[in-house]
Amino acid sequence: MLLLPLAQNGGFFRDRSADTCVADNGVCPKWAIDHFDRYVDPFFEHLQLVVVSVALGFVISFALAVLAHRRRWLVGPVTQITGILYTIPSLAAFFLLLPLTGRGQTTAIIALTAYTLLIFFRNIMAGLDGVPEEARDAGRGMGFTPRQLLWRVELPLALPAILAGLRIAVTTTVGLAALAFYAGAGGLGESLASQKQFKTNVLLAGGLCVVMAVMLDLLVLVAQRLLTPWSRARTV
Amino acid sequence: MNSSNTAQAEGPSAHPQAATLEFREVTKVYPGSAEPAIRGLSFLVPAGHICVLVGPSGCGKTTAMRLANRMIELTSGDILLDGRSVRERRPAELRRDIGYAIQQIGLFPHQTIGENIATVPRLKGWDRARIRRRVDELLELIGLDADMRDRYPAQLSGGQRQRVGVARALAADPPLMLMDEPFGAIDPINRDRLQNEFLRLQREIRKTVVFVTHDIDEAIKMGDRIAVLKKGGLLAQYGPPDELLLQPADAFVEDFVGADRVLKHLSLHRVADAPLDPPAADAGPDAPRVRGSDSLRDALSAILAAGGDRAVVLDDVGEPAATLTIDAIRALTRAEERALEA
Amino acid sequence: MLASILSDFGDAIDFIFVSRESRGGAEVGGGQLLELTKTHLELTFTAIAIATLVALPLGAWLGHSRRASFLAITVSNIGRAVPSIGIVFLFFAILGAGFWNITLALVLLAIPPILTNAYVGVREVDPESVDAARGMGMSGWQVARRVELPLALPLIFGGIKISVVNIIATATLGPEGGVVTLGDPIINPSTYGDAGRLGASIVVAALAVVAEVGLSAVQRAITPRGLKLTPAGAPRRVRFPVPKRRVAPQP
Repeated sequence: MLLLPLAQNGGFFRDRSADTCVADNGVCPKWAIDHFDRYVDPFFEHLQLVVVSVALGFVISFALAVLAHRRRWLVGPVTQITGILYTIPSLAAFFLLLPLTGRGQTTAIIALTAYTLLIFFRNIMAGLDGVPEEARDAGRGMGFTPRQLLWRVELPLALPAILAGLRIAVTTTVGLAALAFYAGAGGLGESLASQKQFKTNVLLAGGLCVVMAVMLDLLVLVAQRLLTPWSRARTV
Repeated sequence: MNSSNTAQAEGPSAHPQAATLEFREVTKVYPGSAEPAIRGLSFLVPAGHICVLVGPSGCGKTTAMRLANRMIELTSGDILLDGRSVRERRPAELRRDIGYAIQQIGLFPHQTIGENIATVPRLKGWDRARIRRRVDELLELIGLDADMRDRYPAQLSGGQRQRVGVARALAADPPLMLMDEPFGAIDPINRDRLQNEFLRLQREIRKTVVFVTHDIDEAIKMGDRIAVLKKGGLLAQYGPPDELLLQPADAFVEDFVGADRVLKHLSLHRVADAPLDPPAADAGPDAPRVRGSDSLRDALSAILAAGGDRAVVLDDVGEPAATLTIDAIRALTRAEERALEA
Repeated sequence: MLASILSDFGDAIDFIFVSRESRGGAEVGGGQLLELTKTHLELTFTAIAIATLVALPLGAWLGHSRRASFLAITVSNIGRAVPSIGIVFLFFAILGAGFWNITLALVLLAIPPILTNAYVGVREVDPESVDAARGMGMSGWQVARRVELPLALPLIFGGIKISVVNIIATATLGPEGGVVTLGDPIINPSTYGDAGRLGASIVVAALAVVAEVGLSAVQRAITPRGLKLTPAGAPRRVRFPVPKRRVAPQP
């Protein structure tokens, strides 16, 4: 289907005047380069939405997980509630929140944050539960208080699982934030929707989303390698 | 009597950093359980001694050990460390004064060997230089290269990890050490080596140690005093290895130490301990040659293997210096028994 | 302020159940909303059915023959990063408006979770069970049918469940592709009003939650009893693996 307009134009590299390409709704690299500055602001708006939501979601889930770690009865209820928040479609969530928080960034951030809670909570709990029992026993026996044990032994050992959750949360939130414009929060979704029939625009805006996701994913991956040097050490 | 490869030295500890440990009518009942796990357990471990808790599965030996550092709480009775009840101190603070080495070791995977060993010193707030010196000292003590301090547990062999576990327990120079089958997860050859190394260590540092094992041979080898526990934490007998082997208190202990207990007892003594006869011309060319430092058990085995009733004892240069007869071995055993009855 | 929020929700609930005349004279709310719901569900089920038909056998086969793990994982990773709305717009741009055009976009978005879960589900089946089955003389096909599939069923169904909830969410974008679903009052609120927009949001959210809860119950029900029992014989609450990825992040 992409080939049809290309064929009509007699090939990709012949007479690439921007007007013809755009008029035929093709994939126009020249147009993309000329109009690239249009995407800069939405890109950073989008990035801001993602970073703020993920950070907020992480902080809340972390607090919940630390509480639930000592009081196991909390695990069930918290999982249920964050599960429901995760299931509610973000688009619907934007407008369920509308009477409370109106249009704009706040609504988008609340909805995006709510989505990440289950991912973080489950992964942090799984990480903490995966700490070897003998390390915990030895730690207690040597004289760590429960709080010292948590911060110096359990959390560092749970880090790989926590960071895995962070990668998932970040990449999915990038995709979700493309809908934020429905709530009036801008972002790359706005660029997508502004010229939704123009293939170049859709591919460019969508592609930038993927690029952002990949970049953030790599960032977390690098952080993981730096923070967990022991996970690479193998028996001599 | 002087046995050099068992920890049988008597007397107060030369090292000031060893405490006495006393169990007084200690009882532990788990909630929801009809039978107590430990019932009225009482014994005293003098400073600088190794006390081995031994018994069949489920007898409560590990529970008893864990009561001492309050990993499990007492139901009734008391445990006194240097005369002071363990209940008086906050658990975390108490534990920093007690060395703790468990069977699965429990090294922290995310920390280097050096950091692992430095755990309790850091908790106690030692300064960096002192910690560094102590880690170096301990690495040498357990026989590891100094450059191991920056490796991670995953990079070490099982035997090395076990040694690091012991070093970690010793790090803050605690007056009491609790060890729960610390050599249990190792193959027999390395276990033997580690036991010998630990005994050598103990000769230098003389700590008070409570050592839990299910292996009677390990108990006999390692212990100054042995506490044999029956199911329910009942103390069947508490005494030095000689006493357990030659005068088992009841059928249970006799059964537990094994039918070869007299032979086990012989392995605790050297040829030189027995009443030897002068070198005899009629010893015969078939008589086995032994040295003064060989164990009596091995000597007896050699005599029996040769089919005779005596062995030639060689001196340092390999010349016959005395004769060891089976009668002499029997005499030693009888003398020991009489000494115990006294 | 609380009063106004409550009244907004009150109006929305009213919209769901009672039809009324819109500003342009058309009938909206109540029964008409039901029509939108029907279209919405039609779209969802069609997309899921096609996606399952394509992805399940493929994923199961890949898992059974232990091939192309890289492919399965890459598909899931990429799928997660692509915005669902991007796919919808792209298909609209290429194919134009229409039920089947949008369905195609949804099928594409629904495939990754089903594919990945089918792959992982079949692959993670205890290799000893598979080995024993082969040793007893079962052919490859019999092993798949009698051992691997029943044991993989919970995970496979989990993948379908994830996709169903995702697609219910993405189908709200239907109007962008010319299909009038429950998303219409949300995306084009001028005809329906604020009450309509809120009402439709409530219905979509409710659909998603009901689907999740209902399908989870089915998932538990189809888990072979043997997998649920612990050695003590007492059944334990089955915990399913964290949905490692969520394709088509919900709109």
